[in-house]
Amino acid sequence: MCDSIRVRLLVWYGVVLSVLIAVYAAAMTYLYSESLLRDIDRDLAETAAVVAQYISPDVSGTFDLNFPPGLRNTLFTQPGGTYYIVWNPRGEVIDRSEFAPVNLEMLGPGTGTIEEGRYVVAPGPAATRILAGRALGDRDVAVRSLGLAIAGAGGTILLLSLAGGWFLASRALAPVARISGTAAAMVAGDLEARIPIVGTDSELEQLARALNEAFDRMRAATETQRRFIADASHELRTPLATLRAELDWAMKRPRTMAEYETSIAKASLAADRLTYIAGSLLTLAAPGGGAPALSRECLNLATLVREVADLLRPLAESRGIVLSVTGEAVWTRGDSGRLTDALSNVIKNAIEYNRSLGTVTVVTRREGEQAVVIVRDTGIGIAAGDLPHIFERFYRAGAARSRAGGAGLGLAIARAVVEEHGGAITCTSAVDAGSEFIIRLPAVGG
Amino acid sequence: MRLLVVEDEAALADTLEKALREERFAVDLARDGNEALFKISHVDYDAVILDVMLPAWDGWSVLRQARALGRRTPVLMLTARDTIDDRVKGLNLGADDYLVKPFALAELVARVNALIRRSYGGAPPTLKVGDIEIDSAARRVYRTGGPVNLTAREYSILELLVRARGRLVTRSMLVDHLYSEDIAVGSNVIDVHVAALRRKIGSNIIKTRRGEGYIVDV
Repeated sequence: MCDSIRVRLLVWYGVVLSVLIAVYAAAMTYLYSESLLRDIDRDLAETAAVVAQYISPDVSGTFDLNFPPGLRNTLFTQPGGTYYIVWNPRGEVIDRSEFAPVNLEMLGPGTGTIEEGRYVVAPGPAATRILAGRALGDRDVAVRSLGLAIAGAGGTILLLSLAGGWFLASRALAPVARISGTAAAMVAGDLEARIPIVGTDSELEQLARALNEAFDRMRAATETQRRFIADASHELRTPLATLRAELDWAMKRPRTMAEYETSIAKASLAADRLTYIAGSLLTLAAPGGGAPALSRECLNLATLVREVADLLRPLAESRGIVLSVTGEAVWTRGDSGRLTDALSNVIKNAIEYNRSLGTVTVVTRREGEQAVVIVRDTGIGIAAGDLPHIFERFYRAGAARSRAGGAGLGLAIARAVVEEHGGAITCTSAVDAGSEFIIRLPAVGG
Repeated sequence: MRLLVVEDEAALADTLEKALREERFAVDLARDGNEALFKISHVDYDAVILDVMLPAWDGWSVLRQARALGRRTPVLMLTARDTIDDRVKGLNLGADDYLVKPFALAELVARVNALIRRSYGGAPPTLKVGDIEIDSAARRVYRTGGPVNLTAREYSILELLVRARGRLVTRSMLVDHLYSEDIAVGSNVIDVHVAALRRKIGSNIIKTRRGEGYIVDV
């Protein structure tokens, strides 16, 4: 709960708001108290000036103070109200009002604050000094009540703001609950779960859209993997069925030695086929071998092609096919083992789907920044409908092709290898005229 | 009983052929959809074992077209894909049974036998006519309790006639059901087998319709 974004948001909001309100309250109180003090000072100065009017110096050096009785009664008879003190030039008190503090030494002209309150000392006629003063109790009361009012208002504002903030935070964070709910459903296996998009373009909507895209991609990847596993299991089942049926037959009753030999030979062929498929699946499942591009060796594709062709020539000759290799040296960077796999699969494909007495021509050349290998056959060709699919795993083009054996993985492996080397493989074909596979890899060197 | 095995994997097809022959079925092979469709439409097989993945027409199309031609031959689909969708698709298209590769040979034989039994009106594995009792699962015949020793051909003729009880069975129908296409037989071969059969089970069960064929009365 304390880790919830909503709570932390609210705590920060509350702290900032409290500081602002406190600063505001302090400033307001200070300014108010200062302005009250200025008013008091002005009053006191006026009082001092009034008192000064009524001082009439005497020739004998004494003073007389002739206040009208009304003035004295109204102004100076309240305890805690304004009082005055008049000093003669020698510092002796000439007169003081009833509630003025006693024993106060003569003060220099100016304003100030003493224990008894605020005072103003002004020079009077004939070098007298007049002090007007008053206690500050009522000012303190006023300032305190203003402070209390501000604190009350501030607290109310703080509480209302926190409540509003909680509401807003809940509203703003509601999509997060939606998003996490959907993500949880996705993790639990509901691949169709998507976050509902409301149509605004808020940050959370953008996040939701990004997540939905990620979910789509995850779903597609899962789907591809599922299909791959289904296809793989499908490919493995046919040789397994042969193996099983043959063994069942052989074990059903005693057989002759010749029959056992046939059965074992068939079982062995089925095992070979299973091994081949399992190996191909591994090649496909672990592309790249994790080798970073820079650590790959520099290879002459022409040499590689010639080596592969030498290995495949017996197969070609057994079918009466002429396999010829031409072209210039052209260099690329890569894993020689995997590139050999790829080239061998493409060339073997050209031999297997050829007609007898046909030819397979392999050309290597450089085109700009690309190292190109072209494998051309005079075979049966590939129907336009099959062409987009021939590089898919386990795809075997209809009727004519499927009799040539193979699990339909060769070209898929070739494409995987070429693409992991940053290249591309394409095919053009005409039925009954032959096909042309073109492998393009990034060239290195001049 | 005559079967058609449609399978493009030569190794598997050969194994199935020899195994089913050993179970006294007459077995024809077809390697692709075209051949399968041709044979199904020209021969009255007792059952067809049909692989789904085939060159030319796949198994589904063969099945659909055979049914469209009005062929009611029982079909057992062999599929390498064990998904409910595939099974439902097959059964909807009119397949009678399916088996997922790899399968046990014994199960295939048992299922084919069950299919054939069902196609002859759901008769139980044991058939009775007069004092004759036929155990079609064990392929044995008993007469008043005691076993009767029949050859494979004799047994097949008897089973076929009894299953088609009340209906006329011509000599050429018998040839069709008993011999695979690679064996040429004259129709008098059937007469020879029927004569031998009558000696073993009594002459009153199988009746001859002169010039037409044989019938076992209900």
